[in-house]
Amino acid sequence: MFQRSASRRGFLLSIAALATSAALFTGTVAAAERPEKLIITAIPDDGDADRMRENFGALAKYLGERVGIPVEYMHVENYAASVTALATGRAHIAWLGAVTVAQARIVMGDELTVLGCRDIDKGFVSYFIANPATGVSEVADLGELAGLAQGKGWSFTFGSKSSTSGHLMPRSFFQEEAGVAPEKVFRTVAYSGSHDVTMRMVGDGTHQVGALNYASWDKGSDELKVRAPVIYTTPEYTNYALTARSDLGENLLNELRTALLTLGESDDNGKKVLEYLKAGRFIEADISEWQGYVDLLQSGIDIGG
Amino acid sequence: MNTSSPLALRRRPWGHFVAILAVLLALGAALAAAEWDFAALTDPDRRAAAAARIGEWLVALASPDLSHEFLARAWELTLQTLSAAILGTALAVAAAYPLAMGASRAVCVGEEDARGVWRHFPLRSPRALLCAACRLVQDVLRAVPDFVWAIILVAMIGLGPLTGALALALNITGILARVYSELWDGVEETRYAQVRALGAGRIATFLYGIRPLASRNVLSFTLMRAECAIRNAAVIGAVGGGGLGAEIWYQIRFGAWDKVGTLILFTLLLTLTADLAANHIRRQLRGDPNRAAASVTWTTAGPSQSGRAPRAPWWAAAFVSATAVWSVWFMGWGNRDDDGAARNHLAPLGEFLTGEAWTRLGFFERLLSPQLDAAFVLRVVESASIPLAIATVGTLLGTAAAIAINHWHSASCQWHAPRFTGETPGVLRRAGRAARLVAARALAMVSRGVPEVTWAFLFIAFFGPGLVAGTLAIAVHTLGVLARVFGEAVDNLPHRRFEPIGASPLVLWGTVAAPMAWRDWMTYTFFQFESNVRAAVVLGLIGVGGLGFEFAFNFEWFRFERASTYLLMMVLLTVLIDRASRMLRLARVGS
Repeated sequence: MFQRSASRRGFLLSIAALATSAALFTGTVAAAERPEKLIITAIPDDGDADRMRENFGALAKYLGERVGIPVEYMHVENYAASVTALATGRAHIAWLGAVTVAQARIVMGDELTVLGCRDIDKGFVSYFIANPATGVSEVADLGELAGLAQGKGWSFTFGSKSSTSGHLMPRSFFQEEAGVAPEKVFRTVAYSGSHDVTMRMVGDGTHQVGALNYASWDKGSDELKVRAPVIYTTPEYTNYALTARSDLGENLLNELRTALLTLGESDDNGKKVLEYLKAGRFIEADISEWQGYVDLLQSGIDIGG
Repeated sequence: MNTSSPLALRRRPWGHFVAILAVLLALGAALAAAEWDFAALTDPDRRAAAAARIGEWLVALASPDLSHEFLARAWELTLQTLSAAILGTALAVAAAYPLAMGASRAVCVGEEDARGVWRHFPLRSPRALLCAACRLVQDVLRAVPDFVWAIILVAMIGLGPLTGALALALNITGILARVYSELWDGVEETRYAQVRALGAGRIATFLYGIRPLASRNVLSFTLMRAECAIRNAAVIGAVGGGGLGAEIWYQIRFGAWDKVGTLILFTLLLTLTADLAANHIRRQLRGDPNRAAASVTWTTAGPSQSGRAPRAPWWAAAFVSATAVWSVWFMGWGNRDDDGAARNHLAPLGEFLTGEAWTRLGFFERLLSPQLDAAFVLRVVESASIPLAIATVGTLLGTAAAIAINHWHSASCQWHAPRFTGETPGVLRRAGRAARLVAARALAMVSRGVPEVTWAFLFIAFFGPGLVAGTLAIAVHTLGVLARVFGEAVDNLPHRRFEPIGASPLVLWGTVAAPMAWRDWMTYTFFQFESNVRAAVVLGLIGVGGLGFEFAFNFEWFRFERASTYLLMMVLLTVLIDRASRMLRLARVGS
């Protein structure tokens, strides 16, 4: 008796499992047409999580209203998590820096597409900043900085390890102009995690010199700017992009692109986002513009570590 | 059955001497292998800057942010931390028990003819192979840091408080399984030989012979782990589960010392409560020999005792299940979203049943093909020297400090001393002893109540990132943990063993208590060393450097092949230390 009921239960269970997986399968096919909900995530380049939630929440709300699907912002604690979320389908849209775009491209291939970027992203720069106690005011190039720092036992900080403007580009410009890795010049080379933390740490003297993206420096308070003045501005390069998964379908992707390009001052949420991102407007962009970074990463460039 | 010769029984336990020698060698190697930069302590400018930051923090700690809003936030974080920890531990106990049965040679392999070196060869029998496999599983669970489990789980079931609790559970399973299996293996075979001789199989021998003999220690360790989990849960919050530790780091980065002060107070409140609750449960479940001896009525009440079963264990069990039910409820429905709406956070558990969650694991596939060229492997091995160096120096400093305050920390040596010294101290002397006891216990409690990662955050903020900050963090935390277990080892000695020879409590401590507790102390120290190595690897992630840093760096750059090699190194370190401690038979029960 028990035997039979057990086998029947097993049978019922497998039927139920089949039914569920069938439902799920059709569910995912339908999702390729038009998902019920979109998740947007971003690299946490701003150390203030609440500020990110608020402003990317506004972007999510704006996009949601324009495409008629609820969009939700999901905050993650590190750069790798945002790429992982996008690559594994946990998130559908992601605000990524150039390095993370390239990482996602390497992992995802054609699954990744670009919705657009800011007007400032095609001519981005990083700042090198120094604590006034070092006595460094401004340097003509990073070779000069390396000369000044040699043997002083200064400590240097980048932002996040996978940041473009807070690590990769400052590092490659340093390497190029000084002809030596920062690890050889500074006593320690640390990774603060985000741009504004870099600024704060240089300001309070935890590290003597640091590098960060210019927009984050501009956002800092005047009092902090005095304690962490800019000593060098790097040449221009391409940076952030709003990326999405290709499997959202061409129709939805186009709707999202249109919504992004028309994001402007007229809408409250749009205004808030543009102000937060220090941008005039969003412009068209193609994934091929980030191919240079993909090649750079795949060339096995020395990124420390 | 009893094949061990009397000679073997009389052999001195060389294990500890070998261990001490190894530790001295390791200390030398630690100082030589890693680049120690003491500039933060010796350079006057930097020392002044560090002192200024410590001062700033102490001032802020004296005036913590007690605004209503922030208190409410801290309270919410405390509840989150608590529920994740309890749930994690409960799941871990359930998973660790069967795993430990497999990993314990006494239980899984049982009686066997293999002797000598042959006993350590896993292919000697299918059972031995199963045992070796279980040990490997528990080593991997333990060696892979909980935040890596968290990242993998996030890909599978998404972000949420549950993810943190599950990641914690996986890690604690590895730790508990190791301790359980080692405790069961530590029971002398002769003590349950009768059960076996009566014809009991392996399971029956375990249930009626081995398990009861080790149950007290198993219980003690489970409770101790539950407390540790509450501290660790604070750290796992970084993946979205919230929690106190993540918030502390967050506020330290912004230099909001008043908020850091408040959060540390809440952490202490939580760990102190857990500490007291665990102690209470432990005391209800096992009699304290000295307390029993002290209360005369209890010992003379013989007949009434046998009349009914003691009710205390039931109360303790009820309390434990109530907390477990609460944490499941809180995990599911108690956490509020950012917009304040309640939502069921247990729902993601259902995703494990779908194929999708498992296909997402494919993302980490490249972790299975580590990069193994000689030059790179050498670099990986080198990077392990940093956590080893930090753990060695930190453990030694912490142990020395714990022994130094042991006399003050022990209730037997301070408060109960008149019972065996025969003296009648005056009011002043009594007050002095009580003050010393309270001071030592408060110091130990604060040191262990604050997680090592939080200590590391603080020391990094004070001295800058590096080996010194990491070592100090480990040393302070070790002091707290060991001071307590060292103290317990002394206080658990029955008072009758202190002979009233008219010596002062300090002399008695030095000549009687310390030598008798020494062996327990060394066992605990070795346990702590192993856990410190893992802690030092994790500290690498937050800027101390070495293995953990290199791993995180490559993982974040999606260079999974390289990250995998570092991960293998972490597992190898854990396995080596674990096997060494098993070979030396450091964990012994009731001997």
